[in-house]
Amino acid sequence: MFCVLALIIFSILGIFSATHRELAKEALDCVFRRVTFRPCNTGFKEKLKSRILVRLLNRSTGLARIFNKYFEILSWIFFVLMVGSTFWVVKGGYNYYMYGSCNGLNQSGFCAFDPKGENNKVTDISQQCGVVEKKEENVTLKNIDLSTFPTKNIGAKDTVVLVGCYECDYTRKAYPDIQKLIKDKKTNYIFAHYPAKEDTNYLSEVGYCVYKEYGDKFWAFNDYLFTVDKVEIYQPEYIKMILENFKFDVKKINDCINDPVTKSVVDMQVGQLRKTHLYGTPTVFINGEALVGPKPYRVYKSMLNKFIIF
Amino acid sequence: MLEYKKLKEDFPLLGKEIKGKKIIYFDSACMSLKPKQVIEAMNEYYFEYPACSGRSSHRLGEIVTKKIKEARQIISKFINAEEREIIFLRNTTEAINLIANSFNFKEGDIVLTSDKEHNSNLIPWQILARKKGISHIIIRTSEDGIIDLEDYQEQVKGAKLVSIVYTSNLDGVSMPVKKIIKIAHENGALVLLDAAQSAANQRIDVKDLDVDFLAFSGHKLLGPTGTGVLYGKLNELEKLDSFLVGGNTVDYSTYTDYKMLNVPEKFEAGLQDYAGIIGLGKAIGYLESIGFNEIQEQEQKLNKYITEELIKLPKIKIIGPIDYSLRSSIISFYIEGVDMHQVATMLEEMSGIMIRAGQHCVHSWFNDRKIKNSARISLYFYNTMTEAEELIRSLNKIIKIL
Repeated sequence: MFCVLALIIFSILGIFSATHRELAKEALDCVFRRVTFRPCNTGFKEKLKSRILVRLLNRSTGLARIFNKYFEILSWIFFVLMVGSTFWVVKGGYNYYMYGSCNGLNQSGFCAFDPKGENNKVTDISQQCGVVEKKEENVTLKNIDLSTFPTKNIGAKDTVVLVGCYECDYTRKAYPDIQKLIKDKKTNYIFAHYPAKEDTNYLSEVGYCVYKEYGDKFWAFNDYLFTVDKVEIYQPEYIKMILENFKFDVKKINDCINDPVTKSVVDMQVGQLRKTHLYGTPTVFINGEALVGPKPYRVYKSMLNKFIIF
Repeated sequence: MLEYKKLKEDFPLLGKEIKGKKIIYFDSACMSLKPKQVIEAMNEYYFEYPACSGRSSHRLGEIVTKKIKEARQIISKFINAEEREIIFLRNTTEAINLIANSFNFKEGDIVLTSDKEHNSNLIPWQILARKKGISHIIIRTSEDGIIDLEDYQEQVKGAKLVSIVYTSNLDGVSMPVKKIIKIAHENGALVLLDAAQSAANQRIDVKDLDVDFLAFSGHKLLGPTGTGVLYGKLNELEKLDSFLVGGNTVDYSTYTDYKMLNVPEKFEAGLQDYAGIIGLGKAIGYLESIGFNEIQEQEQKLNKYITEELIKLPKIKIIGPIDYSLRSSIISFYIEGVDMHQVATMLEEMSGIMIRAGQHCVHSWFNDRKIKNSARISLYFYNTMTEAEELIRSLNKIIKIL
């Protein structure tokens, strides 16, 4: 077992050092002999064991004796540990590539929603952060009515739903990638504003009314809200200025906002979003599968692709 | 009395360090260190007269021819032989193979060896047994490492050749070769002595021994690697066919015929290692200047100390007799259940002590006794008591954890 262990270690070290490359070759010879049911009589094991023993002996005779006596068992233990850690490293690498986090899907630890600026945890709106981290498996679009949210590319094969907040840095980070994805893959796209902070509650109503009154012109407006300084979007005066710049009828929009129907629709929208059990923004649903927090573009893309890289 | 300071000057390796540890070399049975005189003599050949011997008549060629002749003279005197009885070869192995392949063996001819022969004096006979149908008989050795003479007296009857180790590289025990040769001759058998380990440590007088053939290597007696000598009684050598033939072995040749040269040329085919032969001559000259009395005295002093200390250590088993005086300069030992490579490596890692571990090319002996391997300490005159003490100190530490 020692030879296998040595082969793995020296192969890795051999990438950087010629001395270790030679040791890796010796270890490989030893392993090859073992797997071909021949005795490993190269003296490799003894050589390395002796080197370690001498170092231990210089510190403690007892320790050296134990090492010598249980050498094979120790080799096994280290081998098992190595296999375990190798598995986790490979899994981490795979997760990083596939989900943008070594911890796996939605385990990135990115802040999604943080009303009080505490711990980057997720809470219900207007409430304190939760102490227990929520699980993304529960986040679902099942039985959720998204019909009142802005939608484009209706009828496309794939559907992307972005639940985000104009003020959330992480939504702002993910937003360009989502737009690129929609453009590249021509997917059905639904945008749902979820006010991560109370300050942006009224933007849900503004967005709803712009979409209701002006249809597809909403998307340019929406893009703009994700690019302006987020400090300014707290101010209704600033929003009014934007609406004017987009040549929207501010009065019409304000009338819509003040309409009790709008209020009830927006409340219904938030209610529907809460029913998804989402716990932060951005939450992106790609064909129903939830991704919480911003991910690298490849992660979004890979979820639409048949193969990982195409 | 050996002067270590002078030896240190002569042997460039003595006192040097590897990885911060002074080299303590206890592997001379495998390969002796080389004095600078030998190295300089070889360099001189390459720098001053790198020409052919015995073929080219120019001045450089003449110098080489003279130097080779001088080396042959030195070596013949070294073992009390005639110049023509000295054949230059690559090593003892080649010398034994030459006899095995040149001797006129017929099916059923008997060759005797002991049970602790180096592979070089075992495999050639096993091959002949398969190829020509000779009968290869092995005489067992007793606990003290010497062949059972009674058994030998019985087995030697009708034998054609007794090919036996003079001093064993396994345990350092020297066979009673004079008696063995006498008995062999009384029974009409010739004797080939493998003197690879003997020539470096004791005076050999081939005439006194009355031995028919004797082989030794240069690299074990301070000489260069790739040099060896086969001595043979002239009349016996003349009876042998050439093993390797070609350049420098024939007087003349036509498209259909050739005439071989005489001994020793007919056995020295092809271009020889002139630098090596000159170096070998120098090495033997150096050895003579030290003197075998001094050499043996130093070896015995160290062997006595190491043996006495080793037997105090638990678990250690010495191969061969406990009596150090019967073991020349070799101390082979093993520990049940321990791979002695580990001990050898630990000695080097701990104190820079270089010994050999393994089966020392005597696999047959180890396999027969089901002993995995042994560690072999082999001494030479350039080793010191301080080194021996360091060896024992280190072994004491190692034994505690095994």
